[in-house]
Amino acid sequence: MGKNVNLAVKLGNIIFKNPILTASGTFGYGLEYQKYMDLNELGGFIVKGLSLSEKQGNKPPRIIETPCGMLNAIGLQNVGVDKFIAEKLPYINNLNTHIIANIYGTKDEEFIEITQRLNKEEIISAIEVNVSCPNVAEGGSLFGKNPDNVFKLTSSIKQNTDKPVIVKLTPNVTDITLIAQAAKDAKADAVSLINTITGMVIDTKTKKPYLDNKTGGLSGAAIYPVGVRMVYEVFENVDIPIIGVGGIYNADVALQYIMAGASLIEIGSANFTQPDISIDIIKGIRRYLADENIESVSNLVGIAHSSG
Amino acid sequence: MKLQILQNEQIAGSVMSIKIDNPGLFTARAGQFFMVKINDFNYPFLRRPFSITYFKDYIEIVYKIVGEGTSMLAKKQKGEFIDMIGPLGNGFEIVNSKKILLVGGGIGFAPLRFLKEELKGRSFDFDSFFGFNTKDEVCVDFGNIATMDGSYGYKGSVIDLVKDVIDEETLIYACGPSVVLSKLSDICLEKNAKMQVSLESRMACGIGVCLGCVIETKNGMKKVCDEGPVFDYKEILWEKM
Repeated sequence: MGKNVNLAVKLGNIIFKNPILTASGTFGYGLEYQKYMDLNELGGFIVKGLSLSEKQGNKPPRIIETPCGMLNAIGLQNVGVDKFIAEKLPYINNLNTHIIANIYGTKDEEFIEITQRLNKEEIISAIEVNVSCPNVAEGGSLFGKNPDNVFKLTSSIKQNTDKPVIVKLTPNVTDITLIAQAAKDAKADAVSLINTITGMVIDTKTKKPYLDNKTGGLSGAAIYPVGVRMVYEVFENVDIPIIGVGGIYNADVALQYIMAGASLIEIGSANFTQPDISIDIIKGIRRYLADENIESVSNLVGIAHSSG
Repeated sequence: MKLQILQNEQIAGSVMSIKIDNPGLFTARAGQFFMVKINDFNYPFLRRPFSITYFKDYIEIVYKIVGEGTSMLAKKQKGEFIDMIGPLGNGFEIVNSKKILLVGGGIGFAPLRFLKEELKGRSFDFDSFFGFNTKDEVCVDFGNIATMDGSYGYKGSVIDLVKDVIDEETLIYACGPSVVLSKLSDICLEKNAKMQVSLESRMACGIGVCLGCVIETKNGMKKVCDEGPVFDYKEILWEKM
């Protein structure tokens, strides 16, 4: 213990002080968590998914707890990109961490317009593109399930920004490596996976689906083995940096994602349970590296693939 | 923060009272709540929101055993620690009025018990009305009580018990099932009375981030956690509750 370990990781031309990001939709606009932790300790945080105009989201009920997880159908409620820039960014613009904007739209043109607006904001380090949110009937999943659509959308976004572009993939597909390959072909700088897994809970009293939206996205500890498996598959088949996300609740699970092939990881629903859990995870990874005598976290990326 | 349990005991039917050491590091207002982690594991995954029933030398939470989370909580022993975040939410706005009524349905009495202390502290006069299904569930030691089966106090609903007392000079503080609050709302509208209601909703975070606990209001979606849990009854779209 006490040895110097290197947690820094590089993605494109950005250096993150450590591989821990917080996932979109679980971290508000960052502000909300300032009371519970020092945001500067994070590698970065990803803000709530932004649309072109403000969105009210789905009708309640929107969430229901499941064993070791939760199902949500928030419906991407957010303030919209302009309000985000005008009202939220000024409060988080003096931080020593990376702010990543997550964006979504219902057609290519919307994604492009949001990208253009964010591209002018110096403080935004990268753009994460939600092609996978399964909650809005007309949105997300349409793009993310089809490699051609992902290629086309990612290419147009890349043409409109010089910031790194991360494509966030849905697990609700037959072969996630095909979608990751499409993102790579379109020159995405990274892919993040997995978004939530579509699920349903039925209320046996009313004999109807519990969520007003009927289906929701499953997240939380319960889903991490699915995420680790998919990161492993993408690392094996597609040469693109990976950000691992899905059910990470401690350093051990974070390390599993890294060993499967993730360069960075995102903490999601666990933020709800313990607002400063990311700090614990950073400490846990540091301790692991010191105990195992590993100099840099980068040495672990994809290590589970080596035959030796 | 992890706080020590001083006592965790049954006070009626499936109703429990847990008393927790108050470290004296923060203040709380009636109507605010804590997000409580039931144990150190991933099951149950989410914290549970509980209103504060009493807050002075100790923190008291009165809760009903309704599911697995509260069943586990009921097994906690004196001396164990539980992890709580809070106090959260806006709480009741305490204002004086010619006639103040506290109206609770079932476990909805919990935040009103704390409110009672605050009103007494300011020497405001008030009257209290609580409704339960049966005598077995009665867990308050003050106020006028109604039970649906007539096994204790007035026979009928708390609405029947309180409705004739309400007039245009009345300010009601209410908490309970949304059917009860919705009926009260109709009466308050009709009599032009004021009312603050404390609402319940499933929450993931409790701190305004997950957007899971929203309700529909005349001013759009509002979060029960950090824009509530106390609302002016006129703001809520009761038909959507």
